[in-house]
Amino acid sequence: MQLIKGHKNSSHSSKAKNISSALAAATCALLGTPAMAETVDEGWQIDTALLYYGESDRVTALEGVVAGKKDFGDEHIFSGKLVIDSLTGASASGAAAQPGVQTFTRPSGNGQYTIAAGEIPLDDTFKDTRVQLDAQWTQPLWEDMRGSTGIHISNEYDYLSVAFNGSFARDFNQKNTTLSAGLSYAFDTIDPEGGRPVPFSEMVVDVGQFASEEAYENAFDATRQEGSDDKTTIDLLFGVTQVINRRMLMQFNYGYSMSDGYHTDPFKVLSVVDSQGLTQTLLHENRPDERSRHNFYWQTKYAMDNGVADVSYRFSTDDWEIDSHTIDSRLRFNLTDGSYIQPHFRYYQQSAAEFYQPFLLDGDPAPQFASADYRLGEMTAYTLGLKYAMTLNNGNELGFRLEYYQQGSKNSGFSEPGVLQDLDLYPSVKAIIAQVSYSF
Amino acid sequence: MCARFAAMASPCELLIDNCDQTIAYQLASLAYRETKRIEQKFSRYLSGNLMSQINNSNSRPVGIDEETYRLLVFATTCFELSEGLFDISSGVLRRVWKFDGSDLVPTAAQVAALLPFIGWQKVVYNKDSITLPTGFELDFGGIGKEYAVDAVAKLCTKHQPGLSVLVNFGGDIQVTQPRVNSSSWQIGIEDPNSHKDALKVLTMKTGGLATSGDARRFLLKDGIRYSHILNPTTGYPIIHAARSITVTANHCIQAGLLATLALLQGENAETFLAAQNVKYWCVR
Repeated sequence: MQLIKGHKNSSHSSKAKNISSALAAATCALLGTPAMAETVDEGWQIDTALLYYGESDRVTALEGVVAGKKDFGDEHIFSGKLVIDSLTGASASGAAAQPGVQTFTRPSGNGQYTIAAGEIPLDDTFKDTRVQLDAQWTQPLWEDMRGSTGIHISNEYDYLSVAFNGSFARDFNQKNTTLSAGLSYAFDTIDPEGGRPVPFSEMVVDVGQFASEEAYENAFDATRQEGSDDKTTIDLLFGVTQVINRRMLMQFNYGYSMSDGYHTDPFKVLSVVDSQGLTQTLLHENRPDERSRHNFYWQTKYAMDNGVADVSYRFSTDDWEIDSHTIDSRLRFNLTDGSYIQPHFRYYQQSAAEFYQPFLLDGDPAPQFASADYRLGEMTAYTLGLKYAMTLNNGNELGFRLEYYQQGSKNSGFSEPGVLQDLDLYPSVKAIIAQVSYSF
Repeated sequence: MCARFAAMASPCELLIDNCDQTIAYQLASLAYRETKRIEQKFSRYLSGNLMSQINNSNSRPVGIDEETYRLLVFATTCFELSEGLFDISSGVLRRVWKFDGSDLVPTAAQVAALLPFIGWQKVVYNKDSITLPTGFELDFGGIGKEYAVDAVAKLCTKHQPGLSVLVNFGGDIQVTQPRVNSSSWQIGIEDPNSHKDALKVLTMKTGGLATSGDARRFLLKDGIRYSHILNPTTGYPIIHAARSITVTANHCIQAGLLATLALLQGENAETFLAAQNVKYWCVR
């Protein structure tokens, strides 16, 4: 006994030894359970995805996402995400289709492109790479209360967005009810190549009227504003999540968003047409520099015996008079213990902004604001998709998603003079979305 | 779903994730029967059971079953890993050390008189029998409750392999598997200084957790606090023992042993724990 004691004193005071694995082996022998690897510390949970988005004849995007999440213990959770996407292709410029060939100057001022008769004008200079970084920290603050704060940075060639957010969530009623409140502040800077157009300035198109390159450049520069511009956005969010019963969860959110600054799209134009519907000139658009929006969101998740139903509805209304309705539903069916399919249906509908105009009429008084961007017009869109995912032998999940997106724009009551009656003024978009995801 | 019963001088509960009452009832009655079985067999406070046969055998061999043999092998491993500090034959010391919060510290002679009846290395056993020297006593108190938690958890997994069940016997806990929605079980660690408030809320997806140390069991004499953790080699309480240590590991009994062995390290508890690569909380 004395020997043991003496030995103990000398060894333990100097260096503690690891007995964990010997004890683990003894435990497994005692309990008759197979020995297992020590999984004391949970590592990072990593989700990766590669997404392809392809519109017919328009924009093609390729996006890679790496998201990581780690619980540092007691729900002190860090999550981060890196997204890189590249966009190429063409998008509708806002100009009206015409019975003849049309020539446009590229937004940068460098070069021209032509659009065939009867075609909706597409600006094909769309090419950009975007890098987005998100980081979020969430932790319990005190009893039943959690706090979360994060930063978001998104950068593309001519656009930089930096946002901060903070939120609190508190559980009530034995964690059956959660109230949350959040705030986010975003600061965006835009500095398009070729500068921001002067509102309602005419697009300068070189059809041989300029004596020199310099004369063209001077005329182009006269339609541009110096420097960059910015926009700030404040979002407020209030939410209630309620456990209805063991299978059902419901969530209501109200969001209020205010933005102030440069909202105009520097690449969008409007055609000014005469009484025959023929384009006389092209004007750069102009949007209000303030926008405020109310969002109402309801979501229900229902756990079935072999799957999950997830249905949501969003109503959004803003002071540009765009009202929108979104219905989104996902139904997950478990095929086996380790695999499922998930059909997805989404329907979206919006009314036009009060200053939306598919074109301007020559001779009409100049409006204060106007845009022919189809995204501000009346439209409906739906998405149909299917996801299949399976858990691999090593416990990691591999998923495939394929979706079809179709969006159609409508005339919200504009009478079309002359030739415009025979032309397609409202672009529709059809796209395929394909995604492969892997989580480990 | 929650089921509660009292056994092993502890409140025992089963928290069952997302199941109907029939299954909860089935698991609760299984758990209750298993716990009572282990208590009946290994409690040293009962008469006529296996433990009392062994403790009153006066150097005669007593027949044992396979489960008892496995527990003895486990106790031997713990004795060796702790270099003699964890000794299930040291229970006799409780005859003179009564940790009731009083100042009744035994005399050196009283303690010395018991030391010859302690020493796991003097106990002989094999698969079929155990021979305990006269005057010796075995006490499974240091592992019995944790063993019962693991045994109940194992039964739950056998009968309801898909369910996440949290087995909690007075703070010694085993979670059978992650919950369906992969959320965690939340566990409050009691603050020995306040009794009422949870000191810390921690989360568990699966695995075991156990706490050793009891702030309410001590002696206080001449300003010296004697912890209830006794050093079997000296017969005296461990000096500078932590008040309470909580450890998580794959199994409850593993966590319990690590916590107890850490307490036995006295002031080196944290160093010892840090070397084990486990999550722990040490209250001084």
